[in-house]
Amino acid sequence: MTELIKEQHLLDTITNTFKLKGRVIRDRRVEVFADKELVSSILLFAKNQQGFIHLAHMTCIDWIDENKFELIYTIWSPVEKIHLFVKTKIDRENPEMENIDSIWDQANTYEREMREMFGIQFPGLIGEQDFVLEDWDEMPPMRKDFDTAKYASETYFQRPGREDAKDVRETISERSGTKVPDFAKKYSREK
Amino acid sequence: MIREKETTLYLGPQHPGITGNMMVKLKVQGDTVVKAATHVGYLHRAFEKLIERRNWLNAFTLLCRFCVPEPDPMELTYARAVEELDNREVPERAKYIRVIVMELARLQSFMLWYAGQAGSAGLYTLGQWSVGDRNYILDLFEELTGGRIYHMFIWPGGVRRDIPEGWKDKVLKTMDYLEKRQDDYNQLMFDNTIFQKRAQGVGIVPKDKAIEWGVVGPPLRGVGIKSDVRIDEPYEVYDKLNFEVPTAEGGDIWARALVRKEEFRQSISIIRQALEKMPEGEYTNKVPNPMKWVVPEGQAWAKTESVRGEIGFYVASNGTNKPYRVHAKGAAYTHGVTVLEKILPGQNIADVSFIMNSLGVCPPEIER
Repeated sequence: MTELIKEQHLLDTITNTFKLKGRVIRDRRVEVFADKELVSSILLFAKNQQGFIHLAHMTCIDWIDENKFELIYTIWSPVEKIHLFVKTKIDRENPEMENIDSIWDQANTYEREMREMFGIQFPGLIGEQDFVLEDWDEMPPMRKDFDTAKYASETYFQRPGREDAKDVRETISERSGTKVPDFAKKYSREK
Repeated sequence: MIREKETTLYLGPQHPGITGNMMVKLKVQGDTVVKAATHVGYLHRAFEKLIERRNWLNAFTLLCRFCVPEPDPMELTYARAVEELDNREVPERAKYIRVIVMELARLQSFMLWYAGQAGSAGLYTLGQWSVGDRNYILDLFEELTGGRIYHMFIWPGGVRRDIPEGWKDKVLKTMDYLEKRQDDYNQLMFDNTIFQKRAQGVGIVPKDKAIEWGVVGPPLRGVGIKSDVRIDEPYEVYDKLNFEVPTAEGGDIWARALVRKEEFRQSISIIRQALEKMPEGEYTNKVPNPMKWVVPEGQAWAKTESVRGEIGFYVASNGTNKPYRVHAKGAAYTHGVTVLEKILPGQNIADVSFIMNSLGVCPPEIER
């Protein structure tokens, strides 16, 4: 893997400095796994000393089976042309994560969205409580245990004539007196 | 006296600066903006959540609706992320077709930008021309994909179908036409004193803050930073084609317009090269039955250059026939919130929608 020297060097620098685990995924992709307390130090180190000046993206994944939220910080170095993923897992109960909008102003938007969609608190985060959702008092909707179908059926009513939520193909065939083709039955809701 | 009094002005959710609905809450003194705050939430359709309930290919019907003026980069970015997870090779011909589709999408989006940018300065003629001419590109899309706006054409493993007979010539003819027409647009826009006065020195993105605020695409090139995903991290066949990445100095609306003007030319040139170099062969590496198609466990990040800047998709799979998590980050996510809130103070109310247009703010992309 001679062509991945740059990536390997970066990985070694970061993992040795912070005593972390990580790997080179492929060319231009390096990931490191850190404890949540270390994330802001790693990001600052990468930004100020390794040239990762662009925060490309931040996201959260709800690993409900593990009872963890995984936060992913994707940063990009325009000089080295490498993506570095800093990944951390935090508890799903009372989730709290350090606010990094002092490192990148734009992180504020991502954090406000995560606060709303996953219920993760970022102490010191400035910005109105509501970002996309207004007056939302249910469970944060992007969590895996939020059931969209259940919410929709409890909140909204069926259109008149569709109360039974019957498959539309069967309704049509009943009205017109024709048979539902076999291939259509395969995907029918009523088995 | 009136200048000292601060009033709150709600601009939007419907106003001419924007495709979609978004409100900017402005604190104004006289007609000068003192503070701005972006309010989104009028277009939230929970696409990311809905995708988690659909199979890998069903997601495409939602993806292309992330941003109305340019649906294709969304499809390509997601498709590339899924290909990375699935280790799926894309045939060479499909890569060329993808590039052509992407550049046609870029051109049609530029033409909407011409219309919006000129329209928000009061130059309505240009909008009629460019949106009219845009239909020639939409005709090409209709012939190729079956749809005018939303195509769902780029799929993991390639594209949905091969180019139809005679389509290549039609594209070349349209390119010749657009190349000539662009001179007319430019004359109407850049030679116009009103546009010059309104664009120069307005909506300046400071060079030293640009990257920190998350500025990407033409606004970043407008401050003199040469950055383009097609060059920085070449995807498909962009590394085999010759094209320039234009930059301009100043960071104002004028600089961004100059960048886009030149990019329009470059897109035409890319399409011509791609059509010439496109090899024969397969157009897709067919995916299995989509109802049963299981993508291996893992996480992937893919990014592409859309007309407004970098678009990235983070896709996670837990080894089932549905995506576990899909997160999209478009250029508007930073341009429409952080950047807009930072550069609006000090500007004139009349310039707000003008600035929004030049930054490429696309609300459906912010809230998805």
